[in-house]
Amino acid sequence: MISDAKRRALADSAILSGVLFVTSFAAWAFLGRSDQAMITYLLILIVASLGMSSFSAMTGILSFGHAAFIGLAAHLSALLTIPVAAKGMLLPDLPGWLAAVHMPIWASLIVTVAVVTLIGVVLGLPIARLGGSEAAIATLGLLLIVHAVVIASADYTRGSQAIYGVPRIKSIWAYFAAAAGAIFVTRYLAAARLGLLAQSIRENEPAAMSVGIRPVRVKWAVFAFSAAVSALAGVMLGHHLTVFSPKEFHFDLTFTLLVILILGGFSSVSGTVVGAVLVTALVEGLRRLEQSGIFADLMGQSVFGLTDVGLSIAVLWVLYRHNEGLFGHRELSDVIAGWRNTPPKLPEAAAIPEETQAPRELVVEGVSKAYGGVVAVDDVSFTLKTGEIVGLIGPNGSGKTTLLGCIAGTHTASTGTVKLGGHDLTHAAPYQIAEQGIGRTFQTIRLFARKSAIDNVVAAVAAARPQLSQQAAYAQAMGFLEMLWIGDLANRQAGTLAYGQQRRLEIARAMALRPAILLLDEPAAGMNEQESDDLMSILLSLRERFGVGILIVDHDLKLMMRLCERILVLNKGQLIAHGSPAEIRTNEHVLEAYMGRKATTETNNRELST
Amino acid sequence: MDIFLQQLVNGLSLGGTYALLAIGLAIIYSIMGLINFAHGDLMTLTGYAMIGVVALGLPFPVAILCGLVAATLAAMAMERIAFRPLRGASGASMLLSSLAVSTVLHIAFQVLISARPQALPFPPMFSGAMDLGFARIGNIQAISIVVAVLALIVVNAILYRLPLGIAIRAAAQDFDATRVMGVQANRLISLAFGLSGVLAGIAGVLWIAQRGSVDPALGFNPVIKAFIAVTLGGLGSLQGAVLGGLFLGLLEVFLRAYLPEDTLPYREAVALTLVVFVLLFRPQGFMGKSEAVR
Repeated sequence: MISDAKRRALADSAILSGVLFVTSFAAWAFLGRSDQAMITYLLILIVASLGMSSFSAMTGILSFGHAAFIGLAAHLSALLTIPVAAKGMLLPDLPGWLAAVHMPIWASLIVTVAVVTLIGVVLGLPIARLGGSEAAIATLGLLLIVHAVVIASADYTRGSQAIYGVPRIKSIWAYFAAAAGAIFVTRYLAAARLGLLAQSIRENEPAAMSVGIRPVRVKWAVFAFSAAVSALAGVMLGHHLTVFSPKEFHFDLTFTLLVILILGGFSSVSGTVVGAVLVTALVEGLRRLEQSGIFADLMGQSVFGLTDVGLSIAVLWVLYRHNEGLFGHRELSDVIAGWRNTPPKLPEAAAIPEETQAPRELVVEGVSKAYGGVVAVDDVSFTLKTGEIVGLIGPNGSGKTTLLGCIAGTHTASTGTVKLGGHDLTHAAPYQIAEQGIGRTFQTIRLFARKSAIDNVVAAVAAARPQLSQQAAYAQAMGFLEMLWIGDLANRQAGTLAYGQQRRLEIARAMALRPAILLLDEPAAGMNEQESDDLMSILLSLRERFGVGILIVDHDLKLMMRLCERILVLNKGQLIAHGSPAEIRTNEHVLEAYMGRKATTETNNRELST
Repeated sequence: MDIFLQQLVNGLSLGGTYALLAIGLAIIYSIMGLINFAHGDLMTLTGYAMIGVVALGLPFPVAILCGLVAATLAAMAMERIAFRPLRGASGASMLLSSLAVSTVLHIAFQVLISARPQALPFPPMFSGAMDLGFARIGNIQAISIVVAVLALIVVNAILYRLPLGIAIRAAAQDFDATRVMGVQANRLISLAFGLSGVLAGIAGVLWIAQRGSVDPALGFNPVIKAFIAVTLGGLGSLQGAVLGGLFLGLLEVFLRAYLPEDTLPYREAVALTLVVFVLLFRPQGFMGKSEAVR
């Protein structure tokens, strides 16, 4: 059995490929050579834009670099397939072994895709390490580097001159097969584990790390995959054109691919395919208009660049209307479901096994965090066992969130250590800390806002337990949603949920890690009394069922006094008190920190407990 | 030694020009998150404006002044027409819209003026070289360095002394907070674009002075170099942009001078690869800051 999401992916691919099949058949049966070439070019463009969008859509990083892989593949495949005699004339300075190679196109396809993917692996590392805008510029650098290298390596590429005599792939069915294959693979991957992880990073990188997703590794893998698809496009394009020079794979192609992504919707495979169709139609129409000479008569001179202007205007039109292209982040199946008004059915919730955690202890010892001269957290030590609920309170700016960050790995303690069950986590990355069994929520809610509620939790399940089938992962995710009383909202887009529901979804996502320790940063903020009462029952039941230890920061003192067994009080970064709620209520230092003056315990006791 | 000095001068003059472009890009990026592809077309426009003024028979300094004014006004117009409707959109959307604007301008230059380079002869003081005894330094290189330094000093003064500059720096830190303090967003962004336009214009004059002609794609290469300089310096950091520009200029010139003969065709690729290496170990650039997670 495959999961519902994957079944939808296959259905989308089948529909899109079916339409392309009919188009290819019509072209093969009825159209003349030049129109057939147009359809062939469309099929290639679909592969090329899928190569680029499989990276951009999944990671949200704009790419200028994928035309480079297309060019590398075209050149490499040309080297491998041009007959030996012709190659001797064309490229007399080739090293002997390369001059003697002559492969059939299918063999060259395999070699080329393998080699270019490898190049993608090498070039992908720096790009995977950079943030969004920086990475986009790095892909631009990649395009320039590869272009410069291709031109400089004249022994292999004839420099900026054209390569000719490349054997042609004649059958339109070969191009159809490449396009259909690319559609199936990219659409399936978007619904598979890697796609889920990558989309989570796209939506919110810190949140993705908090459930154990490793951004660099995931982006790197997606980049290598996208290089492979681009290589396929390059081989097909090279053997379609048969004559080409490096400028074929430079800014113009990049611009065309970008326009396809924008028109179709930046984050959708279906949209990319439809975008390619639209752009081909637009370019073809404008080209014919240009050739007809109407504009030349109007302007009194020959006009060129009409296609570029048309594409630019199309981009601006889409952007100005503030929409996300035709499909946005939706796929064909989402659109069809919208028409038929049938939301995807909720998966059956799995019973979450209630095995209690092996007892472990979080030990925070002498942790300080300084920013320049400002000490945000000053020599704080405490412990938290699984099964305990401990509160962390203090006035605004007292260092609560910073302390939580030092435990969760978003901040690194300047001095001191953080250990869980003897493992030193002081310098661990957030995803390593998640793997060790610490889940968290954020003070400013961080959800994967454009994904459904259940996908938010599935990402965490998939990251924490990769061996699970996707269907089982969805069932478990459903179980966690129900545990937080939001099972009925599973298919709602996370960003559209009410505030309190979003808070609970964050807890469900963190619980999906099956953590030993849960860090909650102001989970009750903005909740009314009923909601915080509900939250309290939920947290108590989580502790009961899973033995999770909870460290909770909140300003709702009433809730904290009822919920926590122990309370830590921070003021100006220092731990000024530590004890049971009753002790904290009467502690002189606490009262002073909160009320700002020395006062009698009795009056303030009243204030603090209301 | 003297060859080294000459190369240093060449590197500084190229790097200075990159720095002028880069700081203009960085000002815009830090305020509104836009990486402006059309920044280079302001250089091109400066050139065409100067050609027009020279053709009218007006003196050269007037041509330079008109070129700068044209770049400034064009930058402000660009913001008003193309970018204001997109305020608050994602960085990717804005980048793509600037790419589209750049493409349209590029075609407009081709159709309305000419696809071929148009000559723009500079007065004799820009050509020739000075002999300093220990090294010969091209006038244009010397002028580039002096102009770039002066421009950077003025920009620095604007950014740190004038209310406008202080508002720009504040907006670069936190745009929303700056608006809450009573700074008018539209006016601020418009003036910031104007400032980046002047800088692009100055860079354009220096760039064209080295080449003597203007073509529609003139601004494309230098502005891409400036992107890389900005990234290298740390996106959004104004000092980083200057550092990145100088670094990239020096790197290119010294690679050209000292790479072995047969690897020369690869020098552009080598320079960029070195930059990528820097970013591999310092993804946030020279002066970039990482964001706090709450």
